[in-house]
Amino acid sequence: MNQKKSKPLQNKASVNAQLPGDISLPLEIRLHGRGGQGGVTCAKLIAAVYAEMGLHVQTFGDYGAERSGAPVRAFTRVNKIVIKNRNKVYRPHHLLVLDTALLGTRILDGIAPGAVILLNSSGRLEEFSEKFADYRLGIIDATGIAREHGIGTSSVVIINTTIVGAYAKLLGLSIEVLKDAYTRLGLSEDMAAAREAYLNVLIQQPDTAVTGTAVGGELVTAFPQVKQQIDHSDDVPTKLQTGDWSTQLAGFKDHLAPCNYSCPAGNDVVGFIQALKTYGSDRAMEILLQTQPLPSVCGRVCPAPCMHECNRKLMDGAVNIRGLERWISDHSELVLKRKKAGKTHSFAVIGGGPAGLSAAYQLALHGHHVTIFEKEKKLGGVLRYGIPSFRLPEEVLERDIIRILSLGIRSTCAHPIDKVEMERLYEEHDGVIICKGFSDTNTLSVAGEDLDGIEQGLTFLSRRRTDKKATELSGDVVVIGGGNTAIDCARSALRSGASSVKLIYRRSRAEMTAIEEEIEDALREGVQLLPLRQPVAFRGVGRIAGIVLAEVELGEADIDGRRRPLVTKQMTELNCSKVLLALGQENKLEMLPDHWQISDARGWLEEKTLNVWCAGDCSTADGTVSHAIGSGRLTALNALANVDGTEPLVDEISENSVVAPAHIRFSHFPVLAPHQDRHKTVDNYQNNFDEVNLGLSGKEEAERCFSCGRCTRCDTCLVFCPEGVIYRTAGGYRVDENYCKGCGVCVAECPRRAMELNDKESREE
Amino acid sequence: MSVELISANHAAALGATLAGRANRTARGFCSGVYPITPTTECMEYLCGQEIEKGKVVRVDSEHSAMGVCIGASSAGARSFTATSSNGLAYMLENCVAAASYRLPIVMAVSNRTLGPPWNIWADHGDSLLLRDLGWLQFYCADNQEVFDTVLCAFKLAEDPRVLMPAISCMDGFILSHTMAQVEIPGQKLVDRFLPTTKVPHRLNKSAHTLGQLEIPQQAVAHRTQHHQAMLAAVQVYAEIQDSFEEIFGRRVADPVVAYHADDADTLIVSMGTIGTTAERVVDQLREQGQRVGSIRVRMFRPMPENDLRKYFAGTKRIAVLDRNISLGYGGVLWGEIRGFSDPDAIVQGYMVGVAGGDVRREHIINLLTDLQQCKTESAPKIVEVA
Repeated sequence: MNQKKSKPLQNKASVNAQLPGDISLPLEIRLHGRGGQGGVTCAKLIAAVYAEMGLHVQTFGDYGAERSGAPVRAFTRVNKIVIKNRNKVYRPHHLLVLDTALLGTRILDGIAPGAVILLNSSGRLEEFSEKFADYRLGIIDATGIAREHGIGTSSVVIINTTIVGAYAKLLGLSIEVLKDAYTRLGLSEDMAAAREAYLNVLIQQPDTAVTGTAVGGELVTAFPQVKQQIDHSDDVPTKLQTGDWSTQLAGFKDHLAPCNYSCPAGNDVVGFIQALKTYGSDRAMEILLQTQPLPSVCGRVCPAPCMHECNRKLMDGAVNIRGLERWISDHSELVLKRKKAGKTHSFAVIGGGPAGLSAAYQLALHGHHVTIFEKEKKLGGVLRYGIPSFRLPEEVLERDIIRILSLGIRSTCAHPIDKVEMERLYEEHDGVIICKGFSDTNTLSVAGEDLDGIEQGLTFLSRRRTDKKATELSGDVVVIGGGNTAIDCARSALRSGASSVKLIYRRSRAEMTAIEEEIEDALREGVQLLPLRQPVAFRGVGRIAGIVLAEVELGEADIDGRRRPLVTKQMTELNCSKVLLALGQENKLEMLPDHWQISDARGWLEEKTLNVWCAGDCSTADGTVSHAIGSGRLTALNALANVDGTEPLVDEISENSVVAPAHIRFSHFPVLAPHQDRHKTVDNYQNNFDEVNLGLSGKEEAERCFSCGRCTRCDTCLVFCPEGVIYRTAGGYRVDENYCKGCGVCVAECPRRAMELNDKESREE
Repeated sequence: MSVELISANHAAALGATLAGRANRTARGFCSGVYPITPTTECMEYLCGQEIEKGKVVRVDSEHSAMGVCIGASSAGARSFTATSSNGLAYMLENCVAAASYRLPIVMAVSNRTLGPPWNIWADHGDSLLLRDLGWLQFYCADNQEVFDTVLCAFKLAEDPRVLMPAISCMDGFILSHTMAQVEIPGQKLVDRFLPTTKVPHRLNKSAHTLGQLEIPQQAVAHRTQHHQAMLAAVQVYAEIQDSFEEIFGRRVADPVVAYHADDADTLIVSMGTIGTTAERVVDQLREQGQRVGSIRVRMFRPMPENDLRKYFAGTKRIAVLDRNISLGYGGVLWGEIRGFSDPDAIVQGYMVGVAGGDVRREHIINLLTDLQQCKTESAPKIVEVA
């Protein structure tokens, strides 16, 4: 018979030299943490420290939980002789708790009074002192220290090397012992954190006066009696409710798609695309028309911030959302029904541009009487007079306006509003919404700006829409500006007989605010772009003959992120016969009666609020159709709430709920290039004002939408659930709480962040 | 000789690494590996080692892993792999071939319950699948034993009188993932202990076939040779123990580890880590004056029948603890050794810690109480481990 001899291990200092008097052997240590905190390694580290003292050690984790964040236990034993005990630790002498949120579950089981308890907490000693009066208690903010020392990552701080420092101090061990162990394990870098924990641990000695109040108390375990094999058939725990193990529960929750978040008009982009995909254009139109009275317009001219933010952009190209909006509006005749208002109000809307049309539309949709007052001969504002017909054909605009007016909106055109008229409207209506748009156009303020042949671009575009003959051009035309109006002017000039069109812009192409596709169209059609040039003088006798241009360098970024242009002394001259200025506009409210003031888009008379609101560019100066539509809608709803005396509309959105690219499981989606708009090829643009962009050929592009943050019932959760506890229901899915182990696989696998994990702790308490 | 604080999985891999390096002057080392819980750490560690004239091949499955080992070993290389549970089940067909080809492959098994239903914890049912195939089998109880057994397994498997594959088993997690101090000898000592691998029938320049068609007489002859070689392994192992002690200065554990067995009237018989818990029970009951002893069957194939008969002689009550269940029969160990006792002894089978239950002293004391009350032997009982 050969017994294994438990001889002392070699090359070790004598045991008792370094072991404080109050550590008695054999010693059992239990550690509670969460997967990912490094709990098992912490137990190992403690074992290594005792091994350095020449003691026999044994350390192991309690495996089974399969995910980071799940409760984890680890054990260490220390003895002078070889350790035979292979059981888990049921009656620990030392207990380490890496996450105090775990306190309250059964982790104090088997802890006798006088035991050592170390908690990782940023709290004060007093918070725990009463509950743990029977124990030698240590409190250390190991997470804070480890984070400061940059151990782990910012989201997952690894605290094992730090907390062992506090443990050593609590036990009266020398810091030198740690140093040796850390060096041996290649963890010397973490010694600084361990030392900080060693110095900062808060310690409370056990109160010997207190007895019988130990929170852990005696561990009572009933060991089952031995039974005959056959007796066990009834004992099978048929209902092992694994849901009891979990601290978290998976659930379904919509998150905000970046397209919806970024849409200035407030459109439910994911909603209408998914409806188009599943049900067709009428269902999509029904969703679109809730917020968007001008889908045919925006489907053509919107700068589409939704597409810039589209999560698919990072995979194989943004979804062609603008193209889909156009496709829906071109393929549905649907008109929403006017709702019945509780109490009908009458509103005057000043201005028939996109903001005014949107405000009037929302008011009428909610069952109220609306009259639009427009100074021009027809409704549409900038849509009619500022956007050329090759981008927005007149019949398309008419279609949207007719749909809007069909809700029973009256319009009075060729009716400018002055101060007197304004006061009259205020008296006659329950509310007035001013949507007059921009007024004055900006100028350059350089020499020669009053020469003949220099014209404001918007004036030119407006004349072009009303009197084609008078706007015929010839020779070399120069357009100054980098926005959509500049591009529209350049392309219109090309169609009006110009032999060449040059676009002057003071920054680089990357800073241009025009829609990228429109810039490309313009270049394709023959417009020449001359970026990084600033006009400093116009030359000519009576009539424009040329421009003096200064070259520009880009400096530091401005507040808006675009680099500031710095004019140099390097000059060039450019001959031309016509100059169109597209330099943006200012907004003024010249029709306001005296003593009226506007503050926060609301009219005031001294201390009293008026039922007068401003919307669109005259209020926000955002300068896009979709911003104007959004502003018109929100202002109208806000005004309604005010007039009705109800709560104003609150639109609070948390950035956290927006679906980021990192939330998307790209691998779930096949790579598919975007469907591009079709373009008509024209040999000669001269006098050709037909629409160039023909839109999408079908609705297949809708298939490319990830449906970020919104469940499509794709079954991925159901397929991936390792427990098979997700079930289809009429409304979506159901997670069986009794069996969900909170592993989070469904949430991780959800391709579109339509799920989330929720802590169960709060529910239990 | 150094002392390392390592897990048993790593101890097994370290044993294989040292053994692999020891064959560098001959045909080298080649291992096919595929991960599975709770053995993954073992293959991971092996993959991280630099072994001169060595190659660890990461393959698509356990079946292929054993395929690599068969190829390597039949080319004369030293070969090792590690697996568990259903991985072993998937490997099984090639395990049959490895044994019948008489190739000295060594495998570490972290014992794990066979699924489904899925369970990752300790149960000997997986390695017992290999019981009748002609593999040498060892069941270990601590980290040092795992390391030592891997070294000895190579020496035993490669002995010309034995020449067959061997497995060294450790209870999944309970042992595989437990870290403790292990004495690791230097390479020079391992070189001395393990001479280079010689596979006499290895594929060489002259063409020949391994495992061709055989008529019944030939097959019986080969089976008989294999069986006799297996029986001879008990004596060869004793020689290896001596050699081990001479070179490493400590003795590797016996085929049967007896603890206070000589004067015991009641014996607890078990395999794996439950044996050390049984020894703690013996300590506790001896203090109370009870004459209890423990027998830990470390070598399961070949079955050390003579040793067991010696310890069982005169013992009236024997509790056999099986961390496995042969469905429709009872514990495998109980079935194998009940015939070795005195005719009037009660040899009662208990299945305990099946599918990974944490078998504590109290459980064993309960079943010993049950044993004392037995008037006759009854059908094996399953001990519930709460």
